[in-house]
Amino acid sequence: MTTDVRDILDLEQAPTPELTKEAILGTTADKQKKKLSLSQPAPKSSRRPEGMHREVFALLYTDSKDAPPLFQTDTGSGYKQMKAKLGMRKVRPWKWMPFTNPARKDGAIFHHWRRLADEGKEYPFAKFNKQVPIPNYTDSEYLQHLHSEFWTRSETDHLFDLCRRFDLRFGVVKDRWDTAKFPERTIEDLKERYYSICGSLTKARAGSGTPETKVFVFDADHERRRKEQLKRLYDRTPEQIEEEQSLLNELRKIEARKKERDKKTQDLQKLITAADSQTDPRKQEKKFPKKKLQHQTRPRIDTNALELAGIKFPDTKTTGVTVRSQRMKLPSSLGNKKTKVIEQLSQELGIELNPIPTEQVCQHYNELRSDMVLLHELKIALSTCEFELQTLRHQFEAFAPGKTLTIPSTLFGESQGGADSTSGLSKQKAGSTEIIDVVGSPGAPSNN
Amino acid sequence: MSGGSMLYGGDEIGALVFDIGHHSMRVGYAQEDTPKAEIPSAVGVSEDGTMIDNLDPEKKPDPSSITTSGRKYYIDTTTLNVARKGTEVVNYMKDGMIDDWNLFEKVLDYTYSKCIQSEAVFHPVLMSESPWNVRNKREKLTELMFEKYNVPAFFLVKNAVLAAFANGRATALVVDSGATHTSAIPVQEGFVLSQAIVKSPLGGDYISMQCKQHLQDNDIEVIPPYMIGSKEAVKEREKARWVPKRNIPEVTNSWHNYMVKRVIQDFQNSVLQVSESPYDDKVASQTPSVHYEFPNGYHQDFGSERFRIPEALFDPSLVQMKGGVVGNTMLGAGHIVSTSVGMCDVDVRPALYASVVVTGGNSIIQGFPERLSRDLSVRIPSSMRLKLISANGCSERRFGSWIGGSILASIGTFQQMWISSQEYEESGKSQVDRKCP
Repeated sequence: MTTDVRDILDLEQAPTPELTKEAILGTTADKQKKKLSLSQPAPKSSRRPEGMHREVFALLYTDSKDAPPLFQTDTGSGYKQMKAKLGMRKVRPWKWMPFTNPARKDGAIFHHWRRLADEGKEYPFAKFNKQVPIPNYTDSEYLQHLHSEFWTRSETDHLFDLCRRFDLRFGVVKDRWDTAKFPERTIEDLKERYYSICGSLTKARAGSGTPETKVFVFDADHERRRKEQLKRLYDRTPEQIEEEQSLLNELRKIEARKKERDKKTQDLQKLITAADSQTDPRKQEKKFPKKKLQHQTRPRIDTNALELAGIKFPDTKTTGVTVRSQRMKLPSSLGNKKTKVIEQLSQELGIELNPIPTEQVCQHYNELRSDMVLLHELKIALSTCEFELQTLRHQFEAFAPGKTLTIPSTLFGESQGGADSTSGLSKQKAGSTEIIDVVGSPGAPSNN
Repeated sequence: MSGGSMLYGGDEIGALVFDIGHHSMRVGYAQEDTPKAEIPSAVGVSEDGTMIDNLDPEKKPDPSSITTSGRKYYIDTTTLNVARKGTEVVNYMKDGMIDDWNLFEKVLDYTYSKCIQSEAVFHPVLMSESPWNVRNKREKLTELMFEKYNVPAFFLVKNAVLAAFANGRATALVVDSGATHTSAIPVQEGFVLSQAIVKSPLGGDYISMQCKQHLQDNDIEVIPPYMIGSKEAVKEREKARWVPKRNIPEVTNSWHNYMVKRVIQDFQNSVLQVSESPYDDKVASQTPSVHYEFPNGYHQDFGSERFRIPEALFDPSLVQMKGGVVGNTMLGAGHIVSTSVGMCDVDVRPALYASVVVTGGNSIIQGFPERLSRDLSVRIPSSMRLKLISANGCSERRFGSWIGGSILASIGTFQQMWISSQEYEESGKSQVDRKCP
């Protein structure tokens, strides 16, 4: 596979030899080496002639340079070996023979079938006899380090005996615990006692000379709490589970709704801030009253965080020489639709599509087009807002028949003013003083 | 020891496996896939051997009937099923444990001489026992095997552990539905958690009893084949026309009952089915009925009753309705399992539910595992993974523990576990509790 890829990409042969049966078996290691040393310079000498397909070339000139075989073979030698080598080795007889198992201490003798050649060898399964190391303690050690007011000596002995018998399977140890002699213990109690003993034994024995050995600490309280929780989790009734599930679903719904709302307001804010910041430098004298009004009517979020909605012209300050007209080029990220809008508006205003790119023209032209896009987006946002307002009004009327929703004209006044800022300003001023009832015939957009 | 056997970890040392149940005892060589013989635990005993010999037409000594002190024992199906005068049928098992040791020895003698046909001295023995076996019985069994049969090595394993092994699990919850009871036994890493065993006396024998009751209520006579000389074909639900056999010896009540029970067991095996969901008269009456012909020629279709009778295994509240013999304190199979798991440590519960092993002869009733799975999935938390393991084959289910024993005894690493005769001589029978947990 890799050689194919390398071939296609016209790369040198990989330094690693191809995987063959021999390589895996490791039988003909020296042969392989010879082959390698031979084949290494080969690819250089026979390069593929121009125009020849690599598949065809590969058929002709593989490492061996033989004629390609008709049938696939998995050995390099093909059908050179005429006779199959089957059963050439001597039959190895089996014998029913006695054996002792070194894993047993009693030296009991059992019988089994085994090859004669293997006679006298160690029992092969003995090596699987692994034992869990469980520490022993002496009387003095117990008195010095292991004394506990909750555990008696005999109970501790019983615990260690069971641990040895069941290889630290504490679940089984607890099951076989002698409840007639000793008080009942939980698995955590047993583990706590066992590991605390192991810990203090290693500490006591470590001394100063030997390197610090690892001491395992068993957090019994944590385990108890964990199990308690787990138990509660399992013991839930189906009703509880159902309730939990439905609550979770509700939560998810609420979160989704919140997200949607956030997104909408953010979009809106983006447009608003864009509009504000762009109108700022040019219409300063008209700006003040409007800005004030805006502050009253709707909350604002940090403008720095939002990027402008207009066109973002790429920074042309690159090295080298550029033509200035390049600055007027619309960025490709703008999209077809907006480009169309710009074109259309330019036509309406009677502006040339490609003016002569003097420094000033460049700047103003770009600004103009940026404003055009912004205006377009604001219009769209406005119409969606209006639509929403209308639908909300209709919903409200549907829910509370007979009542009508009065919408503060500030909201509407602005809508008219969006396109023409001067007239909008006067209307807004009027709208802020009196409330216009905007109940028209349902369905038809209101026009006060 | 070839590479192959090392790979699979097997090493066969000619061990014998005994799986002792209330209904029958299974015997065979380890490493084989089915037992060599299945011997009923019921044994025919006649009080006066000499008298029987006189009446018996064939004089030659029968090796399967062992005479001691004027008593004659009829062991195994072929000899037990012959009608003989005054032969009582006795079962040596009680509550899943060996009760009549004398009889048990006779059966063992028979097993070695007729089924194994080899000397006990050559074969280590692995025996199964019920998980609630008591200490003195285990010691007695150990003593018997070493002292009387001189086995080279001996080992005792709980049958639930073996059943789990047979299904490839070391940790499992074994649901064993046998002749006398249904039990749920948690097995953790090859050890039975004895504190959490839950038993219910609703087993195959109870179902047989219910069948008998049902047939009696419907005036269907159950005549065992030994009484029938000849019969004629009759139409469905028509009264059977049959001629009794002549010269039947005076059989005892227990033997007659045993023969009747065998007929009912056949009826039970071929007719009964556990309904998929809790029993509903409407649903049950809509499912196809099953035809059954009794030995005396009477035959009819069985419809809803084939679902109603085994329903008691899962819903013991039905038990009181009919018969009125047993109270209402028993648990259904699904309940047994969840109760048993509920008594185990929280950490092993998922592992147990993830491998619920169904075994035992009574679980062969059609639909048993499916119903158990359904009942359990309703009971356990939905987050828990439930997996029911049941061997498909009939013999794999019936001989589950035996197969597990066969596997265990032929594993190379197991060979160090045996109690050898040397060890027995050194430390006596009491070590069985330590060595065979």
